[in-house]
Amino acid sequence: MPYSFTQIEEDKTRTIGFVFSFLILFYFLAFWGIAMVVANAIAYSEIPTYEQQSFVFFFLDFPTTLIILAIACVVGYGHWSYTTSNLIKKMLGVLGAEKLNEKDTYHQMFRNILDEVSVATGGVKIEGVIIPTMAMNAFALSDFEGHHVLGTTEGVLARLSRAQIEAIVGHEVAHIVSRDCLATTVTSSIFALYGGLLKGIELMLRGSGRRSSYSSRGRGSGGGAVAVILLIYILLLLTKFLSHLVRMFISRQREYRADAISVRLTRDPLSLAEALYAIAYHWRGQELTAQEMEAIFIVNPQYAYLDEHEGIFAELFSTHPPVEKRLGILLEMAHADVEQLVQGVKKLENKPRTQVPEAVGIDTKWMVHKDGRWQGPFELVQMATFDWIEPQTWIKRLDEDKVKPAYEDQALAGVLGHSDEMKEASEKCPRCHLALSKVYYEGVELEKCPFCHGVLVHENDVKRIIIRQDVGFSEKVKHIAETIKKTADMFMAPAIKRNPQTLFTCPKCNHPRNKMHRMFYTEVYKVEMDRCFACGSIWFDHDELEVLQYLIEEATTRA
Amino acid sequence: MILWILLGLIVVAMIWAIGVYNRLVQLRENVKNGWSQIDVQLKRRHDLIPNLVETAKGYMAHEKDTLEKVIKARQQAINASDLKDRQQAENLLTSTLRSLFAVSEQYPNLKADRQMMQLHEELTTTENKITFARQYYNDEVNRLNTAVQSFPANVIAGSFNFKKNDFFEIEDAAQKETPKVKF
Repeated sequence: MPYSFTQIEEDKTRTIGFVFSFLILFYFLAFWGIAMVVANAIAYSEIPTYEQQSFVFFFLDFPTTLIILAIACVVGYGHWSYTTSNLIKKMLGVLGAEKLNEKDTYHQMFRNILDEVSVATGGVKIEGVIIPTMAMNAFALSDFEGHHVLGTTEGVLARLSRAQIEAIVGHEVAHIVSRDCLATTVTSSIFALYGGLLKGIELMLRGSGRRSSYSSRGRGSGGGAVAVILLIYILLLLTKFLSHLVRMFISRQREYRADAISVRLTRDPLSLAEALYAIAYHWRGQELTAQEMEAIFIVNPQYAYLDEHEGIFAELFSTHPPVEKRLGILLEMAHADVEQLVQGVKKLENKPRTQVPEAVGIDTKWMVHKDGRWQGPFELVQMATFDWIEPQTWIKRLDEDKVKPAYEDQALAGVLGHSDEMKEASEKCPRCHLALSKVYYEGVELEKCPFCHGVLVHENDVKRIIIRQDVGFSEKVKHIAETIKKTADMFMAPAIKRNPQTLFTCPKCNHPRNKMHRMFYTEVYKVEMDRCFACGSIWFDHDELEVLQYLIEEATTRA
Repeated sequence: MILWILLGLIVVAMIWAIGVYNRLVQLRENVKNGWSQIDVQLKRRHDLIPNLVETAKGYMAHEKDTLEKVIKARQQAINASDLKDRQQAENLLTSTLRSLFAVSEQYPNLKADRQMMQLHEELTTTENKITFARQYYNDEVNRLNTAVQSFPANVIAGSFNFKKNDFFEIEDAAQKETPKVKF
């Protein structure tokens, strides 16, 4: 690697050594403490009652200490090898990250950007993952076998420009090539083992506390068990404290360095500054499980007081340097000022949106110019099956006089050129029973009825569609959404009429009895939809998906 | 005694020479790797262009010139034999492609075309990869050239035939031209 400062970083593998020794020290102290308390207690109980005043507290002797050290080494090593095996897989599980979807255009772009930056480093292999959340952040993970994973959130993909994402990826790749990523991955995961246990016991304690207030009987026998559980609880609390302490080993300098390498790779300091600004002043992912592992992220998911300050204490205990200072350095490199930065971010927020074509009436028919004469009239469904219609073919609507090329007709744009897919598609519109055609909407592939404009989406894709903001909303959509909001306020819950005769059959499963359920998306966003509980497909009638998007977007931007 | 010192010096010199030689080999391999990366991406771009032209043709009947220029530039780049010619041809191709995409901005229907969007993304990523690969290649060439020329490594480099490599330069007229200041 031609980065002179990475050599410094490579020595940092000793961080991992530190963490390992720390782990063994922790087990040693814990076991030693427990053994001492037990030994003293036994000695105390063996003294006859009348002599108990003369009890002297004693420490363990040297051979016993050695034995305890040996046990601590064994347990510590066991803990270590448990944590480091399958390291990345476990971390991704905790983060709730998903693999990239090859058909999703946003994910394709992310994959491409990863490949680009990989080329810039001379070909480091990196896998990409996505956390499906509206929050904005990015992270990198490495393990001892040399696997590298780089992830970001849907929020980042939806809200940042290509150049900005590239800059962020550059930053994370910098952590990977300078190898400090391995150290942060290990330190973040080492005490994560106990995090789950801690939560379980907290739940149990809360539960038993409530129960014991009802039943006073059997309290005496449970007292010992509760005491043991409490002891374990306190020990686990200690591990949580320790996991914070381990951050001492992670220098906040590494973030400055990664910023510098990113600029070196992409030669674009302004985009990195814009991206950092956008992430820092947006929802970074607080309250997600991810916040426990702050060290692997580009910006701390939690707003931390220490991060924004300097001084010895902050240098020691915080994992990220002040965002302002990072921005300052980057802006200086870009010869830009804060004004430019804010404008760059604002411009992106107000980017132009595309409109969804309106549905055409049932009786709309077209004439097509073919082989030197006008043919037709054809209905929309027929038009969709003609594979000889090209974008430049002359067409004319029956009710209009204007002759125009096919690509100018908004209604046709969605259905032409899909004839091959149409023939294969076995899925039919549950309302009109016409073959559904594949279209792209907000980067997601979904199936649309060319006639009634209803869409069939998978439930995972709905989440992604909601986060993205390519499509603008027509007045009609806004009107429907406002009406839904008003009626929801007036009546607590307008019931859905469920008539078994009118339930749809799921176009994907085609099960004769397992019908789709007509229901609201959530109780907060009362948009009607039909959901198949067998395969997770959701059917939205015309405009319903847009209405849902509008409602959620409005609610989140207002907050 | 003197014999031993001499022998020791020779051994030290040998070890040093082996170290330098291995480093030079490493650098040369990096340069080769960098070049093959550029090569792969340039080929990828050549493969994408026919599809692009085919898709754009349907919408841009009035822009035959631009499309033909792109096809011609691609043919030139494929036929180019030596490095110098090739650089020129590829740089020409880059600028014609850029003008094609600039023109396509005026055709909203073309921009909305599904296939066009995909091709646009593919070409953007390929262009970026070419830029990054060139950047990596030039960095590595720079390191090799510095090592080959600096004393005393140049003695080893000379006797084992390590040569200076050429940079892959941008000769895009728009980028090279210094801005003219007018008052």
